[in-house]
Amino acid sequence: MTSVPSIADQFTSARTGLPGAGRGWLDALRREALERFERNGFPTPKVETWKFTDLHRIAGLGFDNMPAAVGRALTQADITPHRLAPDCRLAVFVNGMFRPDLSDVERTEGLRIRNFAAADEAELHALATPPLAALEPRARSLADLNTAFMRDGAVIDIEGCAALAPVQLLFIASPQGGRPVYHVRNLIRLGEHASATVVETYVGHDSGAYWTNAVTRVEIADGAVLRHCRLQAEGAAAVHVAASSVRVARAATYHMFAAGLGGEIARNEIEVELVAPDATAELAGLTLARGRQHLDTTTRLAHTQPHGTSRQQFRNVVDDHAHAVFQGAVTVARDAQKTDAQQQSRSLLLSASAAVDTKPELEILADDVKCSHGAAIGDLEPEQLFYLRSRGVGEADARALLIAAFIGDLVDGIEGKTVQPYIRRHVDAWLGDLKLQERGA
Amino acid sequence: MTALLEIQDLHAEVDGRAILHGLTLSVPAGEVHAIMGPNGSGKSTLAYVLAGRDGYKVTKGRVLYAGREIAALAPEERARQGVFLAFQYPVEIPGVANASFLRAAVNAVRKSRGEPELDAMEFLKLARETLKLLRIDEKFLSRAVNVGFSGGEKKRNEIFQMAMLDPRLAVLDETDSGLDIDALRIVADGVNALRRSDRGMLLITHYQRLLSYVVPDRVHVLAKGRIVTSGGPELAQELEAKGYAQFEAAA
Repeated sequence: MTSVPSIADQFTSARTGLPGAGRGWLDALRREALERFERNGFPTPKVETWKFTDLHRIAGLGFDNMPAAVGRALTQADITPHRLAPDCRLAVFVNGMFRPDLSDVERTEGLRIRNFAAADEAELHALATPPLAALEPRARSLADLNTAFMRDGAVIDIEGCAALAPVQLLFIASPQGGRPVYHVRNLIRLGEHASATVVETYVGHDSGAYWTNAVTRVEIADGAVLRHCRLQAEGAAAVHVAASSVRVARAATYHMFAAGLGGEIARNEIEVELVAPDATAELAGLTLARGRQHLDTTTRLAHTQPHGTSRQQFRNVVDDHAHAVFQGAVTVARDAQKTDAQQQSRSLLLSASAAVDTKPELEILADDVKCSHGAAIGDLEPEQLFYLRSRGVGEADARALLIAAFIGDLVDGIEGKTVQPYIRRHVDAWLGDLKLQERGA
Repeated sequence: MTALLEIQDLHAEVDGRAILHGLTLSVPAGEVHAIMGPNGSGKSTLAYVLAGRDGYKVTKGRVLYAGREIAALAPEERARQGVFLAFQYPVEIPGVANASFLRAAVNAVRKSRGEPELDAMEFLKLARETLKLLRIDEKFLSRAVNVGFSGGEKKRNEIFQMAMLDPRLAVLDETDSGLDIDALRIVADGVNALRRSDRGMLLITHYQRLLSYVVPDRVHVLAKGRIVTSGGPELAQELEAKGYAQFEAAA
């Protein structure tokens, strides 16, 4: 393997070609972010919020932060299987770069979709707002690296109450050798009382190694409702690190459903701040891990104002030697009286060598609140398995029925007529593979 | 000709503890036999050994079903060959609808018999007819398996499953326990409706009262892991009057 230039050298040669280059404030912002990354390096398990996810496996590898933009010549036929629905608005990014020829981003009433490179000054400012700001610097150094090299992504603005078809952001990786990093930066904004569904899909088209480092910023104005879905189905040799930062305004609602089943190592960080009274956040997530996958979901939910409601429900199904992590922190500020916050995580271990780490955290400074959290880890119930088998259902089918039941209500609860079958398709395929594998065993 | 179920000198242990000590029993097709016995006599162990539950190990003797040894078969294999166990404590399975569970079961059994699998519509039709016959509410189909069912509903669900799976040998483990008189009657009617010349049934029970509604061909008394006496239906009345003490002493 040819040696890869240091990150500082990569930055020096790349910076004039990065979008927004020449704007003094942005150049400085990128440089400072790079300097912080150089100082802090990859987060290690010594950093509290990275205790269970050790990136040393990738920290020493030479990654190319400015990979050549060319990808394999993907066509519509490559896109179709990943599409949410034919009538959805779609922005396609191949190897982190926008592909207008594969996209359908025509402007419609109340909806505007552009890519990072086409962003104006104000949008660049919004895009550049640092995510994960509440964390200590070492915990967000990968977001800093993203800020230094951020190169493309989607800017979505939704206004008004018109009923809109869902919008899909489709990120397809088709790495052409080496170890490319795709530093993706998205911005999703809903105006007052707007309502929308946005789906982010990350898929790996080939088996090559790559790293997706995505940062998505979400702003939901007063009374607006966003149904946000993330499907992480990266390639088997991929590293996926994502940080979503969400601000929910007065009486606004944020729904998130995160499905994670791809990649070798993945970290999905979701940070939600209820910044005004009467805001609501409902987060749900499903992690399906097998082989030697390491899939980490980390949430931080901040209640800063009164009368906020939050619901979190996360499930992990872990097979083989895989490892799942769920960390969920809920903070309730002194002013956030009448907060109602619930968090639950449940994990199902399908093999003796599968592992789960869960860490719920509550920090409550207000005195008139209702908060609860729970975490449960277990195996399939032998009693239930025997009952099913005693009726003639084969062992592999019986296990599949019970696993499907473990996650069924969560999938049933996904908002959106198109999103639910889309996620279900991926979940069913995963369960189908599991059944084949067990039959073969 | 051997009987449908032929148990010869069966010794079995549960998690290393010996429970059955030389049980011999024969149930011909077309007959209903009752096994009665006090707590701890090995009644449920016998049921689980027949169904093939993990941890229930045959250490000696033979269990022949339709002339073939079944002790080494997986539970699903026995079910597909026509062995059915109605559980004393039916298991709750949240998130799995009765209909989808039962359709998977019925089709697994049909497939192994070389019969075509039922599609959703065909299954539903058969299920509705069966429910009607057993006078069970159709809502059973859409509810999660046994979740939130009353004791009586759970037992009726077992009878429903039995009817749907059409077994040749049905073992009912204390299906009468915990039932009020109305539920007991419905369960008994269900069992009677399923009596057939090519089907054998083994009713395992602690009390005589089920046997007032389902009159068995033979009654066996199980004590300390062995059949200590056998007789006609009148034996059940005698047990009810005199209790098990005499047999326990004899064993």
